Amino acid sequence: MKMTKRTVSDEIPTSSMADITFLLIIFFMVTNTFAATRGLDFAVPKEERNTQTIEKQESVLLSVHPGGRFEADGRAIRLDEILDYLKPKLERDPLKPVIIRPDPESSYGDMVRVFDVLRQGKDKGVEVRNISIPTQREIEQFWY
Amino acid sequence: MLLKTRQSRGAIIPTASMADIVFLLIIFFVLTFNVDVDKAQVALPKTNLRFEVPKKSAVISVTEAGQIRVSSGEETSTTVSGYEDVLAFAAEQVARDADKAFILKADSRVPYQTIDRILDSLKQARASVIYLLSDQETVEGAGQGG
Repeated sequence: MKMTKRTVSDEIPTSSMADITFLLIIFFMVTNTFAATRGLDFAVPKEERNTQTIEKQESVLLSVHPGGRFEADGRAIRLDEILDYLKPKLERDPLKPVIIRPDPESSYGDMVRVFDVLRQGKDKGVEVRNISIPTQREIEQFWY
Repeated sequence: MLLKTRQSRGAIIPTASMADIVFLLIIFFVLTFNVDVDKAQVALPKTNLRFEVPKKSAVISVTEAGQIRVSSGEETSTTVSGYEDVLAFAAEQVARDADKAFILKADSRVPYQTIDRILDSLKQARASVIYLLSDQETVEGAGQGG
């Protein structure tokens, strides 16, 4: 009688490996988002009672109006002139508060542009250490 | 006459390195994997300075139409009906983690009064840090305005 010996392969089958890994890649590619995860930060005072009272003549008021118009202490100003305007004032008093007061009808983007200019001051030799963006409620409560 | 035997070439594409390449790609995607908790389409304001926001920060998004959505940073954002809901949401997040960072993802064309109310809600909820999400300012757009 003829006996045939059946051999069992000792190799791990890897033919489906590429299929599995490609499925994983497709999953990650579809679900992955390179979301915008950068922005400008600002710290909020923790306790309102610790916030200091600012006298009008001690601060610089930057107003943002609809249509992308800006004013510094009531005078029209361009974005690229703001730091030049602040430089002599901050040299005299480095802690001089700069208040950004956007008009309710102005766009959020214009407020962010002003805030960005002030934050860039540090790299341009005009460090604005004290930036304040009061809300309407705070203005009604504390504005002089 | 002895004829030369014809040598046949195998039509096989070498796939031995395929697994290495694919695993490298998988490792890349695993490392950069980032599920967007808020899919609201907004035209972000452009800034020159941009800082990385902390992961798992709470997100408040505002579309141009004024629709407000909130997310704790761990689940998909949901629409809220008013500023009172934003305040309640922010207070809940701060109660859980006093140092919770908030990301404001707002369309640059939104009237400031909407943002003002949201910032006021965050201040009332004692939020410590707020990030104003932005896109990178291009050279042409820098320094204009006024």
